[in-house]
Amino acid sequence: MSTTELVISAWSAISPFGYGRDAFARGVLDRRDTAAPVDRDRWSVPDSTACVVPDFDPRVVLGSKGTRAMNRVSGLAVATTGQLLDDIHFAPGEDTGFVLGTTTGSAQSMMDFTRTSLTEDKPFHVEPANAPGCVMNCAAGQAAIWHGMQGPNTTIAAGRATGLMALKYTRRLLLAGRADKVLCGVAEEYSDARAWLEYHRRGGGNVMGEGCAILLLELASKVAADRSPLATVAGIDVQVCLDGDVAGTLRVLVRRLLDEVGIEPSQVWSACADASAGAEEAVLREMFGDDAAEVVPSLDLIGDTSAASAMFQVAAVLSVAASDPRSSGRYAVVSAVDDHGAVASVLLRLHPPAGRSGDE
Amino acid sequence: MSTRRVVVTGAGVISSIGTGVGEFAEALRAGRSGVRPISRFDTTGFAHANGCEVTDFDPGKWIRTVDTESLGPAARFATAAARMAVSDAGLDEDALAEQRCLISIGTTDGESQDLDRMVGMSIDGGPQAMDPVLARRISAGRLSTAIARELRLRNAEAATIATACSAGNYAIGNGLDAIRLGEVDFALCGGADAICRKTFTIFYRLRSIAPDCCRPFDRDRMGILTGEGAGVLMLESLDSALARGARIYSEVLGYEMSCDANHPVAPHQPSLARCMELALRDAGVKPEEVDLISAHGTGTKANDLTETRAIRDVYGETVPRVVSMKSMLGHTMGAASAMAAIGCSLAIDRGFIPPTINHVETDPECAIDCVPNVSVPADLRIVQNNGWAFGGNNAVVVLGKYDPDEDRVRRKAG
Repeated sequence: MSTTELVISAWSAISPFGYGRDAFARGVLDRRDTAAPVDRDRWSVPDSTACVVPDFDPRVVLGSKGTRAMNRVSGLAVATTGQLLDDIHFAPGEDTGFVLGTTTGSAQSMMDFTRTSLTEDKPFHVEPANAPGCVMNCAAGQAAIWHGMQGPNTTIAAGRATGLMALKYTRRLLLAGRADKVLCGVAEEYSDARAWLEYHRRGGGNVMGEGCAILLLELASKVAADRSPLATVAGIDVQVCLDGDVAGTLRVLVRRLLDEVGIEPSQVWSACADASAGAEEAVLREMFGDDAAEVVPSLDLIGDTSAASAMFQVAAVLSVAASDPRSSGRYAVVSAVDDHGAVASVLLRLHPPAGRSGDE
Repeated sequence: MSTRRVVVTGAGVISSIGTGVGEFAEALRAGRSGVRPISRFDTTGFAHANGCEVTDFDPGKWIRTVDTESLGPAARFATAAARMAVSDAGLDEDALAEQRCLISIGTTDGESQDLDRMVGMSIDGGPQAMDPVLARRISAGRLSTAIARELRLRNAEAATIATACSAGNYAIGNGLDAIRLGEVDFALCGGADAICRKTFTIFYRLRSIAPDCCRPFDRDRMGILTGEGAGVLMLESLDSALARGARIYSEVLGYEMSCDANHPVAPHQPSLARCMELALRDAGVKPEEVDLISAHGTGTKANDLTETRAIRDVYGETVPRVVSMKSMLGHTMGAASAMAAIGCSLAIDRGFIPPTINHVETDPECAIDCVPNVSVPADLRIVQNNGWAFGGNNAVVVLGKYDPDEDRVRRKAG
């Protein structure tokens, strides 16, 4: 076993499919579309349908203590982290890192704060308890406080490529010896502000989603005896597309990744495109065939989760692999493309289900 | 684990006291103040609203490839500073474009100034009235991808670190590790932020905005002034720098992060001390070898007291001089520790200690030599640069004078 082999040894999620790993996996395997009419009493958005986490409210899910001013994205991150730590019976400390991806934190908290400043009698008649939620690292900081994670705590943003960039950053933390374990995830909230920003950004037409997915990453040599690796992160590569030819950039990137790891396309069991990008999906289908392109469903099922999309796609791969023996020892490609040029791809080697802890 | 050494071979700065390393270094040496009344937003209703704005920034002078209208103010600062850093490093842009590199820009607010403007549009005309051009600029990752697009760096890993006011140090550490591990030879690392109503109002409401100017470690200090700008460093493997005969400002000896996991906004003394200890260990440096500490030094009652106590926890009673460049620059948020790291590198290279200005009487509870008001000449070998943040995100970078005879990384490994 290489001393630099990086593995995913646990994961959890809160998504429109529901709470926890099993609910997510069931939703993926059933290919259940979660889009539903928007609750007009709750949301003031341009959307008619959306994919939201069922009954999610930080005060309900986490209790009333310490949640009075907690925004939705922080609640998602705190609760998902709690689920993951419960699953593996692990109490974090100084050697536990936390890496969380975002688009821009909670646009709702930020814009609400400014709105209050602009509309109250005095511009400083704002609620100080809301201040921490207006900073982009609010969710990671809250998760650290709730769960005692005192190691490196990093918030990272790279548009739709965020999940894979977070994995690459996490790999670097572990290889540099800055943490023993890293919980690496991405969180995105549904909100009036985000819905309107996306509406203006894209000119409408998209079904928005939300949620949080978190993976436990550690060096293979350091995985505890009561836990088995689910997948090895065999390689991650990133580029910036400068000429608008996303398909061409992705093709070169994935080819390079296969060469670096030393495998053939026939060894790839699954190849997942970013849910909303047609050109990207076509490249992967051409390179790896229809079976690999279709074995794991597109996460259009949970809507456009922006920065969280690639991490959810990784979780979907792990979900399907757990129940598909053909995945064993073979590879999965997950790619992501951001409209400002970031292109990223990760190659995972799936471990045999027998070696996976807690399998159904 | 690789033992590759990492050096700073270029820097770009946009600040309220000067643009480019030449102006910036002279302003730091002269103890210049960037304070002026805030003009970026309507400050009506605030009893006081001074800040440290950049008044002479012409993005078109630096940004040639990317449409500047597609970039928010923070991305413009970051992109311009990155081009300056590449030019200052004496690197040919066409040659650099073929290299694998890391682009890591730290920020507190991203494009919150644009978010503020959209809130204003929404109040006037409803959410339908928000400008799509602004909406497309909001994703914080663009602070880093804008640099890749502008400099045509197709082989870049470009991601933004959003760990608030220590994000610049986080970004430098990220570059340090990427080069140490042999992933890249070049890393453009730093931070950028633009003054915005949201963050000014947060600090004002927390009674942490000084009425006139920022006085770190002073008995009568009353808080921060919000500032803006960008600082981007060109980090390079020593091998690459030597091979091309590059000028070396400083060596990045080490860094580390810690998380308070304690309180969302109040600094936590044990966690700050742990971060400093871990960073010095990563650098292979003992506290008594450190010649200068560039403090987070915001000028709030709580920060300066907690920070100086944490410094004494690590250094005992023999504390080196501790300065705060925020006295001159204001608190430039995610750019702050990156600008301070550039300041440290220039201080090492040019042999001076930047002063802590606006200083009248040192708080006896802080009890440090903050080099009040006037810079002093000094031969600096090792400098520690502190950065703390909301969310309890601490990061410390240790910089040193490049000495070809001393291989600290190897010493640590041995």
